[in-house]
Amino acid sequence: MIRFPYVREALTQVFSKPSTEKYPFVKKEAPENYRGRIKFHPDRCINCGMCIRVCSPGAIVRTVEKQEDGDLVTMEFHMDSCTFCQMCADFCTKNSIELTKDYEMVASDPKDLIESGTFLKKKPVPKKPISDELPPAPKVDDPEM
Amino acid sequence: MFKKLIDNSTAKSPWIYHINAGSCNGCDIELVAVLTPRYDAERFGFKLAGTPRHADIVVVSGPVTSQSKERLIRTLEQVPEPRVIVSLGSCPRSCNVFKGSYSVEGPLDKFCHVDISVAGCAPKPEAIVLGLAQAAQLLKQKREEAAQK
Repeated sequence: MIRFPYVREALTQVFSKPSTEKYPFVKKEAPENYRGRIKFHPDRCINCGMCIRVCSPGAIVRTVEKQEDGDLVTMEFHMDSCTFCQMCADFCTKNSIELTKDYEMVASDPKDLIESGTFLKKKPVPKKPISDELPPAPKVDDPEM
Repeated sequence: MFKKLIDNSTAKSPWIYHINAGSCNGCDIELVAVLTPRYDAERFGFKLAGTPRHADIVVVSGPVTSQSKERLIRTLEQVPEPRVIVSLGSCPRSCNVFKGSYSVEGPLDKFCHVDISVAGCAPKPEAIVLGLAQAAQLLKQKREEAAQK
């Protein structure tokens, strides 16, 4: 008896969909915890500089501009220099750096690959000088004392 | 008569040439993955050419090391105009973690104009497909400009 071992396989392949992903026409969502385009929230940043310290390719540039009421801090994340290791986001205590699921980082102009944010770091308010007068003694209402 | 036919066919079949200028191989395997049936860039007509003289789009990966610098320049000179240079990953754009190394001479834009850069380390195959599609569009534009002159 003649056996056709691959007939079933061949027939299923003929009638099944191709395994090619129809990418530009059907967008595919990146998997969970994908580290893509960087998003920076300047309103949460406190200018501690931890992200710059842990960045191995040195992709984060900070420029500080002195102003009357504080420092104008600009953080630039150069995504054309980034390794997408997420160390900056992990070390950020204020969660101001976020790596989104956007993976379509294609640019003809290199400026499109820079994520930047500016915020004002206010000077600390000078504390009031401590007065020489002693504070009033607390009243004792407890009768047992 | 034949010229129009040839122009139409070449626009739909840009050939890529891949240069590894000291890459860690991460971007290279992603580029090869793009040409396999899963992400199939060949449905847009892309084909990996064996020689730079046949290529329209040059894909460069890796920071330019001092060993590969001479070869890179020599290879790029052989690519006929109009050409589109695509930088793959972070390395050719900025040398990534290798910047400042004694054996790295990059980034790539010291030696030639980079038309399209795909960011990521390594970029997702979908991003490479998108970058190549943009490169093909740019190539078509460049050809039209060259024809008008």
